[in-house]
Amino acid sequence: MLEAIDLKKTYGDYQALKGLNLRVNGGDIYCLLGANGAGKTTTINLFLNFVTPTSGVARVNGIDVNADPLQTKRYLAYIPEQVMLYGNLTGMENLEYFARLGGHDEYSADDYRGFLRRVGLQEDAAGRRVKTYSKGMRQKVGVAIALAKQARALLLDEPTSGLDPKASNEFSELLVQLKSEGAAILMATHDLFRAKETGTRIGIMRGGQLVQELSTDEVSHADLERIYLEHMH
Amino acid sequence: MIATIARKEFLEIVRDGRFKWTAALMVLLLVTALLAGWQRFNSYSQIQATAQGSTNTQWLKQGDKNPHTAAHYGNYAFKPLGPLAFFDSGIVNYAGTAVFMEAHKQNFAIARPATDTSAVARFGELNGAMILQVLLPLLIIFLGFTAFSGERETGTLRQLMSMGVSRGSLLWGKAAGIAAAVLLVVLPCLAVGALALAATGLQTAGGGIWTRVALIGGAYLGYAAVFLFLTLAVSAWAKTARTALMALVGFWAFTAFIMPKTAAEVSRLVEPSPAFGTFMAEMKEHQKRGIDGISPRIKLAQYRGELFRKYGVSRVQDLPVYWTAVSMQKLEELDHPVFEQHYNAVRDEYARQLRLQDRLGLLAPLLPLRSISMTLAGTDLIQHNRFMAETEVFRRNMVLKMNTYLSQAAANLNGVNSATNYMIANEDVFAIVPPFRYEPPALRDVIASQAGNFTLLAGWLLATIVLALVAVKRMSLERN
Repeated sequence: MLEAIDLKKTYGDYQALKGLNLRVNGGDIYCLLGANGAGKTTTINLFLNFVTPTSGVARVNGIDVNADPLQTKRYLAYIPEQVMLYGNLTGMENLEYFARLGGHDEYSADDYRGFLRRVGLQEDAAGRRVKTYSKGMRQKVGVAIALAKQARALLLDEPTSGLDPKASNEFSELLVQLKSEGAAILMATHDLFRAKETGTRIGIMRGGQLVQELSTDEVSHADLERIYLEHMH
Repeated sequence: MIATIARKEFLEIVRDGRFKWTAALMVLLLVTALLAGWQRFNSYSQIQATAQGSTNTQWLKQGDKNPHTAAHYGNYAFKPLGPLAFFDSGIVNYAGTAVFMEAHKQNFAIARPATDTSAVARFGELNGAMILQVLLPLLIIFLGFTAFSGERETGTLRQLMSMGVSRGSLLWGKAAGIAAAVLLVVLPCLAVGALALAATGLQTAGGGIWTRVALIGGAYLGYAAVFLFLTLAVSAWAKTARTALMALVGFWAFTAFIMPKTAAEVSRLVEPSPAFGTFMAEMKEHQKRGIDGISPRIKLAQYRGELFRKYGVSRVQDLPVYWTAVSMQKLEELDHPVFEQHYNAVRDEYARQLRLQDRLGLLAPLLPLRSISMTLAGTDLIQHNRFMAETEVFRRNMVLKMNTYLSQAAANLNGVNSATNYMIANEDVFAIVPPFRYEPPALRDVIASQAGNFTLLAGWLLATIVLALVAVKRMSLERN
């Protein structure tokens, strides 16, 4: 579960986030929509404790991120626009490394192969060095890391931008699976179509504030686009 | 956690193409340097032993002659080196390895290999110590400068930090991984060095060869760790890998090249040492003038008076001792305080210069390491001074033995023209001078002399660890 209470972040005079209140429960895919600079990435960085809040609290599983960042990161998985891996290590080695760093020493080589199979990475790719991987393959390893970490909450920052439609679709299917297993997922995205298809709830941000929240089953795709554009003007 | 990070770091380094080239180069240079040093040491030791043996024989077989003339014929002392000289030749090439010991004169050491070589060789000969002092830091910098800065540039640092890794573990893990890669390169080379050392036979000058090896090893390990943590600190601090590399290579050049030269110049400026010609001229002048301004001729006349009173005689021919011999010995002894004053002054000067250089180790970790290394290898200034002091002890004893023998054996020649009628001695007489033996200083004293440098090095290590911890705690995850 992810929770933001009156979360504020200012850089000098600039208010990146003006008092955000947000809650993502297990089994939810919450899609943050908004133009660049609306505060989506700042929100994710606050949950990751990559930046410290000016005021307010961010909680993961009920624990204040700022008070115990190492503990809250145990529950989190982070998948950015471009999952960054070590080019000279194989997909398997990258996965094992990050899993161990996430506190999971218990897996066997078969387990790691299982994770990579589950996210749809070709069998022969697992033993290849990551520098030969396409972007889609890297994103899949990112999801495999989240699986291995048994993350209770996922923070996704435009994870599908730049992916071809097939890869994007496969990625979304994985998210839906994780959701059905009870993960709380917060995803910043520009893809209204994906947000409507895979998201359960949608929040529209503008100028560091959440200006509207809605459930995806309440709106049609056309309505969502109209509402979004209204807010952007 | 730390082990996981170390393992990944090691794997990444070893798989990098740069590693293979730098490692190959390092192994080649280090093994070459160690073996070349070993070969040089063996041939030196052989020559030293042979030369010392033949000079001892020469002394005995110099032919029958007057004992005082034999003291003029003199004797050579050749400096024996401990086996670790193969690793660090210290100042041996500059300070000289042989001393001519003769009546009336205290000489400086000769046979300085540096004077026989071109200007390029002055840069320093290839030996294990030089490679480890100069190139090992460079290897560490090359393997480590991207540790944080590179991960920040490629974006893996964010990914890494999202895993819930503490920054402290990250630092220790990376340090261990890089250290493992460096040791992978260096340890096999040092094993070759240790084998070479074992093969030379281990009767080291001063004993405790493995204590010396352990202390030298510890010092180099500390020195390498200083560069490792400094590299990690700068890597965490610098905005880009490029900046990190430039800053580190800059510091490396500063400590490896600029500071040793600067320290030498500064110490010479602050504690000037006399030119050789001036030194010799002043000493000779002082000998003539007498230590207290009373000329040796007057002192000699006084001495004769004392002897006359002592033996109750009034003429030289009635003395029970050969006057020519005792007067020679008296002249010799009148020179001792003059030698002591002048040689001690210049040695104190060098010692002060050395202390000043050691203190400049606050600015460059190479300086304390260099002193520790050559002192434990037995090739430093202090141990050279001790060798010189021992040759003087030998010289005085040789002259004293010959003059004393002559003073007693030739008492009947008092008043006889010594140019036409003098006492002739043979090998049996020359044999009362025992051959030169060098007793190196006790290991305990050698170690004690380096306490300050060990402290400095430990201080550097502590400071760089703290620096790295602070830099990593404050490290930015973003590229800009």
